[in-house]
Amino acid sequence: MDPADRGQPEGAQPSRRWISLLLGSGVLASIASFLYPAIRYIIPPPLAESSSRSVVAAKVGDLKNNSGVVFKFGSEPGILVRLADGQYRAFTAVCTHLSCTVQYRADLREIWCPCHNGLYDLAGRNVSGPPPRPLQAYEVHIQGEDIVVSRSA
Amino acid sequence: MRKTIPSLVVLLVAIASPLAAAPKNSCLTCHAELEGPQGEPAKKFPSDVHNQAGLGCADCHGGDPQDDSMTAMSPAKGFRGAPKKTAIPEFCGKCHSDSNYMRRFNPGLRTDQLSQYWTSVHGKRLRQGDAKVAACVDCHSVHDILAVTDTRAPVYPTNVATTCARCHADAAYMKGYNLPTNQPAQYAKSVHAHALAQGDTSAPTCSTCHGNHGAAPPGVSSVENVCGTCHVINQQLFEKSPHQAAFAKMGLPACVQCHSNHEIVPPTDAWVGVGSNATCIQCHAAGDKGYAAAQRIAGDLAKLETFYQRAEDVLNTAERSGMEVSTPRVELVSAHGDLIKARVEVHSFNPGEVQKFTDEGTDISQKAYQAGVVALRERDTRRKGLGVSLIFIVLAIGGLYLKIRQMESTPANRH
Repeated sequence: MDPADRGQPEGAQPSRRWISLLLGSGVLASIASFLYPAIRYIIPPPLAESSSRSVVAAKVGDLKNNSGVVFKFGSEPGILVRLADGQYRAFTAVCTHLSCTVQYRADLREIWCPCHNGLYDLAGRNVSGPPPRPLQAYEVHIQGEDIVVSRSA
Repeated sequence: MRKTIPSLVVLLVAIASPLAAAPKNSCLTCHAELEGPQGEPAKKFPSDVHNQAGLGCADCHGGDPQDDSMTAMSPAKGFRGAPKKTAIPEFCGKCHSDSNYMRRFNPGLRTDQLSQYWTSVHGKRLRQGDAKVAACVDCHSVHDILAVTDTRAPVYPTNVATTCARCHADAAYMKGYNLPTNQPAQYAKSVHAHALAQGDTSAPTCSTCHGNHGAAPPGVSSVENVCGTCHVINQQLFEKSPHQAAFAKMGLPACVQCHSNHEIVPPTDAWVGVGSNATCIQCHAAGDKGYAAAQRIAGDLAKLETFYQRAEDVLNTAERSGMEVSTPRVELVSAHGDLIKARVEVHSFNPGEVQKFTDEGTDISQKAYQAGVVALRERDTRRKGLGVSLIFIVLAIGGLYLKIRQMESTPANRH
């Protein structure tokens, strides 16, 4: 067919092909960029999920009476303590003195900071040594088999 | 009407009965009308903790508060008047050293203040007739005495330094005692004063180290015990270190030698080592064993600090870029703990022991740093991907625009 019959000048053909190529590749790349996040969402990266409000600190039965465990709570460590009577309590594990990680001392039945021998009672109150303030307390709930620790509202 | 009158009488009696129950106190009645020092006690006394406990003027000063005349203040009525300065401790101690009496008001209150006071520098000097030294009323005030737990009391923890400074910062008043008067100003710069100002009422003030009723400077040999009441690990490490015997031999006060006594500012790593700010070079010189140990400890601390800071910076950058780095962030908390523990371990003055913590912390910091680098690499990949996709999206939009224009310019569409 004569190009003139199609109402197009002869020199316009390469230009049209170029536009179609541009359009096609642009559409394909756009589709790829739309799909990429969806695929990454379905297959998450090998990094642990962060939760700032609540976290499963342990499973029921993980802790025996008069023991404690340090767990990851967002970007900070937290401490879950099971008292001698079976009750659970949770606090931030960041010492209020110089931000060392505290731990539970079953022999003292207190929360202890190994850096400067700071002691907190089981209500989180600073009772001995240099810590200037109590530990921030968290709420503990048992949900099925999970011990869920939440920041207070 | 017959019923109303007895009811009114009962009501008036009920209203008046508390007033009738209040003991008569002619001392307050008369002294309230006086001006100057004689009127002052009556104006102050209503806020006094003794008044709140139901005690009156006569309980301390004797006399007869039921008597409205001047005979109320006669020796015959047991009037003792105001005690001389040197008699004040015994005056207050008459009740405050009596356990049976004090139990009626506050069973938990100690009753050994007077015996402690006589062991203090103040008490010893008072016994020698020095009326300038502090006795009970100089610290607790008089006639408007507040409970120690009252935040307005001059002996409440946050007010103690100001109370002591009233005399101890007054160069003219302290003249002749051969004591510096800059301690309150030095203390005000200390980490302890700062903690107290921040609301930590357990932070040490003057009386924590010097005692309150038995106030005296701690002896050179007991400094580490006094500091060790809070800084237990530091004390234990120091006592096992070669410095304890060396300091004792030289008559140097343990903690004070490096940390000062009143101006205890937050220590820095620059205090350790052989730099110009290092305390070690006060005694150690190049070539001796202590100098080499100080150099090694300072190097290890600096290494951990550098690695920790590098990891902290990269994780901060990654976090600000929206990357999930909470796991290495939590791990880095352990490295921070190692840095603090290493600084405490400095009190052993044993480079090998310090290095255990610095090595562990450095290792954790390196891993956290690597995790941060990986996160930043992932961020860069995403940014590049976004950039490339944006280019293609722009190209697609441009292509669409041109295609539409081309379609519009064909003759078939024009007609």
